[in-house]
Parts: sequence; structure tokens; C-alpha cells
Amino acid sequence: MNEDVFAWSLVLIMLLTNTLLSIYGITYRRSLTKKLIGLTILSDTANLAFILIGFRFVQPAVPPVLTELSLESLEYLRQHAVDPLPQALVLTGIVISMAVNALIAFGIIQAYRITGSTDAKVVVKHFSEEVRGE
Amino acid sequence: MSRRFAVLFLILALTIASALALSYADFARPAKGLKPIGLFYVENSYFGNLTAKSPEAVTAIVWDYRGLDTIYESAVFFLAIIGGLSIFRLESPQLMAKEAKGLTKISKTGSKIIALLIISVSASIALHGHLTPGGGFQGGSTLAVAPLLLIPVFSITRLVSAGITSKRLVIARSAAMTCVGLTALLPVIKGLELASNLSFYPAEIGGELISGSLFFYNLFEYLAVGSGFTAVFLYLSTFEETYRREIEKEVGT
Amino acid sequence: MITLIHLLLSFSSLLAIVFVYLAITEKDLIKAIVFSAGQSISYAMILQLFAAPDVLLAYIAVSVGIYSALLVYVVSKTERFDGGGKNE
Repeated sequence: MNEDVFAWSLVLIMLLTNTLLSIYGITYRRSLTKKLIGLTILSDTANLAFILIGFRFVQPAVPPVLTELSLESLEYLRQHAVDPLPQALVLTGIVISMAVNALIAFGIIQAYRITGSTDAKVVVKHFSEEVRGE
Repeated sequence: MSRRFAVLFLILALTIASALALSYADFARPAKGLKPIGLFYVENSYFGNLTAKSPEAVTAIVWDYRGLDTIYESAVFFLAIIGGLSIFRLESPQLMAKEAKGLTKISKTGSKIIALLIISVSASIALHGHLTPGGGFQGGSTLAVAPLLLIPVFSITRLVSAGITSKRLVIARSAAMTCVGLTALLPVIKGLELASNLSFYPAEIGGELISGSLFFYNLFEYLAVGSGFTAVFLYLSTFEETYRREIEKEVGT
Repeated sequence: MITLIHLLLSFSSLLAIVFVYLAITEKDLIKAIVFSAGQSISYAMILQLFAAPDVLLAYIAVSVGIYSALLVYVVSKTERFDGGGKNE
């Protein structure tokens, strides 16, 4: 049994388990703050899965940075560097999910100020009654 | 409580068992070579015809090859800040109703030293982004930890009376974003494409490699992200009674 | 040959699962925030082993610094426990 394949499979199963656990946390927990924590874990797991795609299992796997400005260094990078494109896309993804999570946090605080509770059922009932009552 | 740990142990055992099963079946094999487009970016980011003259491939992709994506992502972050500010708006911006003293003198002196170190480290991360791993966003979010430390230690009233209000920080963020937009728009004046890099900007200034517009993008994004986060934490730290009075006035309780 | 990379990958994967489970099933939200920060640290170890230093710098500052602080603000302005209530 190759130990490269075992470590790779373990990371894959870990990503799957974390996705399922965070989806359980988002749907079955009643507190809005706990749902937000589950959402952050889910987006972190998805970003890590992207980085996993760009990896190559050679013995020293180096980041795609030229250490000296010479053509031998470029040849070394061709043999040993990992893919730079998923890392750039994940950077954009981290910023956007952080912006959305910050906005959700503000929404939670405002919902608590208006309804007095962070229980999801109470908040939804309060606002739907308000809409239906008009 | 022991039921929780029993379920945790079960999950860990299931994970290891399925990883062993997956590796015996030889199902997922990691890659050993680069995909063609990744190879293109690694080869062309310094040497090559479509070069960005930057030895760091990821920063070249983020600000040169896919620069417009990053500009729109900064716009999304800006929208989140403005959205939060509009949720937490105050009709009459009254200044703090009570005085808060902050922590002891020891904490204050220690925080001053640490905040200075954080600012210098984050500037180094941001400004060297075209040579080593780093860049504008990384430096900016590291810079955001400094006001996070200063707000509980010095108390928000002290910061506001020193002139650091969230309105001024949003103005600073808007100014930095305008500079990012200008850096992208300047090549258009000469008839080139939007957000061009080396056809307009110099690759070296005074013998030092600055990779064209990458250095300026990193600098302005650093200032923009740092001031944006500081504005968010400042208006998040306002006392709760101020907002409660506003809500009671609006709801009419 | 088993090198340090395989051992560290396996260790941080298992640690991540432990932290995620403890964060989701914890009733005290402050402890859940601490467990979530621990999960971010184990993900950061995996990111370093996958040779992604740019993502690592952005991820650590955002996830351990910004998210933890934001969530502590949210918990201090709303309820502390998952079932509701400020003190027990």
C-alpha cells in the first residue's frame, strides 16, 4: 500500500466528513450564530478542496516562486512546482466569502435587537408575522 | 458528555477505515505533473513573451493575468462594508454616552509595542508581494489585527476622541479604491487596454524590480483592506445602548 | 518510505475532524469559537504542506483573527448559549 495514496485518501475523506458535519450544523442547530460557524467551516473546506486539486506529489513540492532569476531555476520549477491557478482563485474566494459572512453577522445582531432572540424559528416567525400582518 | 466523545471516536474510526479501504482500492491517485495552463503561468510569469516580470506566479495571476477579477472582488468587499454601515446606522450620531477607561497601563504599553510591530510586518508582507509570497490582501488582513488589539485595550472612546472615526476610515478606503481604479484606468488614456501592465508601467525603477503595476496594486489594496477592516470593527464596537435607543425610537416601543 | 509530510498530513486531518465535531456540537458558543479557530489552524498546517503560502497568509489572518473576533462580537451582543439565554 503506497503511503502517498493513503495520505491523499485520508485528506479526501476528511474533507467529505467535514462537509457533512458542517451541513448538519447548519441545518439542525437552532442558534443563528451556530449556523454562521457551520457556514464558515463549510466555505473553508471547499477552498481547501480547491488547493488539493492543484497539488502534485513529487518529493520536494515547492510553491511556484522563482528563487533566483535564472533559467535553471525555471527548469527546477517545471519539475517541482505546484499549480498556481487554484491558489489565485481561492484568494478571491476567501475575500468574497468573508464579505458575505461579515454581512450575515451584522444581520444576526440586528435580528437579535429587533426580536430579542437568536433562535431561528422565533426570528422567522416574528418577521413572517410582521409581513403577513400588514 | 461521554456520548459526544463516543460519537467522535466512531467518526474517527470510520474515517481511518474508509481511508484504508480507499487506498487499498487505489481509487484516488494524486497528480504527478502540472496541467497545461498551470505550466503556462509558471513559465511565462518572468521569462517568456507574455510576461508580467514577476518571479511570483500567484501574484502575477491575481493582479495581472486575472486583474479584473480582483478589482471586482475588492468592490464586493466594499459593498459588504457599506451594507454593514447601513444596517448599523444612527439617526443622530451622538458621541459616546459614557466614558470607558480601558485596561491597565501595562497592557497599554505592551499593546503599543505590539501594534507597531504588526504594522511593520504587514507592510513588509504587502510591499514584497511581487517578489515573495504575500501581497495586498494578505498584508491588509494582517494589518487589521492591530486595531482589533487596540480597541479593547484603549477603549473606543479614547480612539474616537483621537480622531479615528469610522466615517474617516471609510473615506480612506474609498480613496485607496479610487487609486486602484486609477492604476487600472491610466493605460486607457494612451489607447491601450484596461488594466494593462507592462505595456504602460516600467518593470524596474532605479534598478529595483517592481513588476509594473503589481507594486502599486499591492500598495493601494493594502491600505484599502486595512482601513476597511478597521472601519468595520469601529462601528461594531459602539455601545449597545446607543443602538437600543435608536431601535426603540423606530419601533415605537 | 513514510516521510514527515505523510505523518503531518494524517495528523492534521484527524485533528481537523476532531475540532469540527467539537465546534458543531458544543452548546457554549465561546468554546465553539475557540474550536473553530483550532480547526483553522489545522487547515493552515495542511495548506503549508500543500505548498500554498499565499493562501496560507490570507487564510490565517482572516480565519483565526477576523472571524474569531467577529463571532466574539456577535456572541457578546446576542446570546451566549445555543439553547438561548445569557447566563446559566
